[in-house]
Amino acid sequence: MASTMSQPVSPSSAYCGSPEHTFHRRMILQGVPAAGLAATSSFAGLFSVPALAEQTRKQGKKCILLWLCGAPSQFETWDPKPGTPTSGPFAAIPTSLPGIHISQLMPQCAGIMNKLGVIRSMKTEPSEHFQGIDVLTRGEKPRPPFTRPILGSVIAEQLGQLDSPVPQFVLLDPCPEGNEFKAFKAGNWAGWLGAEYGPVRAGGEYSIPNLLKPETISQLDHQDREGLRSFLSRKFANDQRSDAAAGYNAAFNRVQGLMSCAPLFDLDKLPEADRRRYGGGAFSQHALQARHLIENGSTFVMVANGMPWDNHVYQHEMHQMLVPELDNVIFQLVNDLEERGLLEDTLVIAMGEFGRTPWLNEARGRDHYPNAWSMMMAGGGIKGGVVYGSTDPLGIDVAEKHVDQRQLFATIFTALGIDPHQQYDIPDLPAFFHVEQSAEPIRELLV
Amino acid sequence: MLKPLSLLFVVLYATSAVLAQQQTDGDPAEGIHQINQFLQTRWSDQQITPAADCTDERFARRLHLDLVGRIPTVQELQTFLQDRRPDKRQQLIRHLLQSEDYVQHFADNLDTLLMGRGSSRVYQQRQQNNWRAWLESVIRDNRAWDDCVRTILLARPQSETDRGAVWFLYERKDNYQKIAEELAPAFFGIRIECAQCHDHMVASEIEQRHYWGLVAFFNRGKNASTDNGLRIQESAIGGFSEFANLEGDSSPNLLTFFQSATVPEERPESTDKQEDSDDFYTASLIDGEPRIPKFSRRESFVNQVAADHPLIARAFVNRIWALLTGRGIVHPFDEMDSAHPPSHPELLDWLAQDFRSSGYNIRRLVRLIVSSRVYQLDSSRPAGLDDPATFAWGLEKPLTAEQLARSASLALRGTGDSAAALLEPFRQIFPDLLPETVTTGVDDALFLSNNTAFTNYISESRAPNHLLTQIQALPNVNEQASLAFLTVFGRVPTREEVQRLQTYLNSAAADADSLSIRWEQVLWAMLTSAEFRFNH
Repeated sequence: MASTMSQPVSPSSAYCGSPEHTFHRRMILQGVPAAGLAATSSFAGLFSVPALAEQTRKQGKKCILLWLCGAPSQFETWDPKPGTPTSGPFAAIPTSLPGIHISQLMPQCAGIMNKLGVIRSMKTEPSEHFQGIDVLTRGEKPRPPFTRPILGSVIAEQLGQLDSPVPQFVLLDPCPEGNEFKAFKAGNWAGWLGAEYGPVRAGGEYSIPNLLKPETISQLDHQDREGLRSFLSRKFANDQRSDAAAGYNAAFNRVQGLMSCAPLFDLDKLPEADRRRYGGGAFSQHALQARHLIENGSTFVMVANGMPWDNHVYQHEMHQMLVPELDNVIFQLVNDLEERGLLEDTLVIAMGEFGRTPWLNEARGRDHYPNAWSMMMAGGGIKGGVVYGSTDPLGIDVAEKHVDQRQLFATIFTALGIDPHQQYDIPDLPAFFHVEQSAEPIRELLV
Repeated sequence: MLKPLSLLFVVLYATSAVLAQQQTDGDPAEGIHQINQFLQTRWSDQQITPAADCTDERFARRLHLDLVGRIPTVQELQTFLQDRRPDKRQQLIRHLLQSEDYVQHFADNLDTLLMGRGSSRVYQQRQQNNWRAWLESVIRDNRAWDDCVRTILLARPQSETDRGAVWFLYERKDNYQKIAEELAPAFFGIRIECAQCHDHMVASEIEQRHYWGLVAFFNRGKNASTDNGLRIQESAIGGFSEFANLEGDSSPNLLTFFQSATVPEERPESTDKQEDSDDFYTASLIDGEPRIPKFSRRESFVNQVAADHPLIARAFVNRIWALLTGRGIVHPFDEMDSAHPPSHPELLDWLAQDFRSSGYNIRRLVRLIVSSRVYQLDSSRPAGLDDPATFAWGLEKPLTAEQLARSASLALRGTGDSAAALLEPFRQIFPDLLPETVTTGVDDALFLSNNTAFTNYISESRAPNHLLTQIQALPNVNEQASLAFLTVFGRVPTREEVQRLQTYLNSAAADADSLSIRWEQVLWAMLTSAEFRFNH
């Protein structure tokens, strides 16, 4: 589908639009000495423009959203209630933060709790998946006919490198299914920002279409052929003074750059040791790929895996499988980013669309519960070692400092250096802001 | 077994073709003059000097793409260029409007506009259920547009041909809101989906009651399979509901629509449960057709709302204008509401009036527009002009999937009929018809660069009569380049372009195979260049 992976294409005539030229221009502007352009990406040679990645990594903040679709249980993650009727079979364990306990299913996160920011007092309204996903990924309830862009689109638009060959907003989701999430994925993600800010979808079977050259043509011939095409086409665009033709050529100018990114989307190209460390599950592998994309110039990567967290049946057994995987993924991601000096600028978010009921249903499952739930953030402007808000002893309601989606989004935007109260500058659009009602960010969570 | 029947159709069809011919034979000169005047007046008011008239080469390519959905053959092009008659453009217009390719191309256009795109299975179904054949008959016989609208929306076929028209409603599978939301832009040129929950925010004349009224006109229909084929049965009862606005106030879904009076209908008390009865229906006069409610909501819509509704003509002329000139007088073409005023209101009024008084004559409308000066302006944008709503230069139109597939097929293989392998992928990747703004995604460029269905199509075009073979039979690069450029671009190459080709070809290894592959790549480069991608 054309709209799902459009990339912003500037019809600007100031330069030909080739990523190489853009890069050189920026290099000159910033006085970066050529000798300093040694490949610093982790897998030298895989990525054809490592110097560009070096540039982008220094410039902007980035974000990885671990989208725990279906909604995990707060009791088996960040807000255990040991010894109460609402507790499940799992114990609570101490963490590196004195006095703070989390579920025994998360021992690795317990060890780095001083690097994580956790909100235990999320309180939102929608209790059905589609509406929940909508509100928690856009930050606001719908107001038809207007479609608010999803978090990744806003961040790609605000922080993204338009002239980067690397896609700025990537959705890694190997699972084509996912009930309401499947329906949601088919919808309009970029909203009023326009399709060019929509995600490039990859992961599992979802490779980017036509990213690899046909086998019948050599790399050199492929480039030569494009050179001829470009010659014929540019002449036409100039003679016509045509924006449409210039935009058309600009799109082709991105092809070689994007094709050079193909290895970024190839899980098999990631180092074996890293793959083992992250674990064999699809979610883990794609979290690793997210790190790799962020390292190489993407701005927002959303990792999902269908809707596995919706455990209305056998909640404990399911969470016993899902939570340790999440625990490891957060641990590896945070450590990797820190080791690479990227954690300061890379915000990692782990959340679903709501929480789960304190009580069990007849199928030993927990049902949807937006009334009091938890989520986690780390790095990228978020203060580590903060546990914000709390729930009552049984986790039935928020005890103090309840946080809604607006405050959450204000916090995320502020952490990333984006003004949460800025108005969207779009013709014919009523006054909409990054965050409505002047909701304030949670200062305690910000660096 | 079908033979006598189809023979009868041939006779009927021949008769209607003759009638259609007489219909279009009215002198268009006065109409063309009118259109030119409207544009000229505005240019004068705005102190704009429009672009010059386009060259014959450019006119031939543009007109072929717009009327017959493909580029001209070299033969067609040369015949036209050598024609010395002063009215040769008129002659070409007349000639193309009588061709079968015109039928196919406008059937493509109507299909996309009325039905939208779909998977190859969707296209198969449209074919199998004779929707496609019906569209072709509409264009071939130059059916009056108001009659087409009536035939589609009433969905009670009176002839074998008209059975295909049922598919418009049938494909929407009793999804009444979908029917309403797609019918409004298709026939009335307005979008109403915003009015589902509240009166339209920016075009407040489109009210929530219009949305639910339009739904109600169709919500008694039910897809059915009958001995005569697929039909939309209609019930005489049910379909009453209330809709609530944002404040929570409820209103009944009366039979009402934009710019027309409410159709009276007795509403049962909410506590009454209606019992259906044979008394509420009459039998169809045609054997095997579903019974007809004595009060039919669908029929009342057709007779009391759609019949001569001013927007039916305005929407259609605006859409054809947009198809041919690259932009609606109201833009975007399917939002003809108070938030989108026409750039040339008098022109729109006049076109709509002429369309109605000509008996909703589609071919006349097309002919008037392509005969006008504005259609024939050069497409190189004059320096200092940047507002496309002035229509002061020929606006570029990206080729539709069908135009692109047929033109590539024609260029490479000498016939537009070899396009099937390209149609499916092109319809997926280039779904647009009349996009609000022309943009190209990187995915489009990736497709054209790397998709094997497309690149294989080029390399497999190597029969003796195919372009690749013919080029390589020529003795030198000058002649080769000329043939390639004339065939693909409809013009001769410049000296610089020949030199660039020469350089490119010289860089190949000396063997015949390498050179042959280079030529393949030259054709790829031409077919993927902006000059081919756009109608200009």
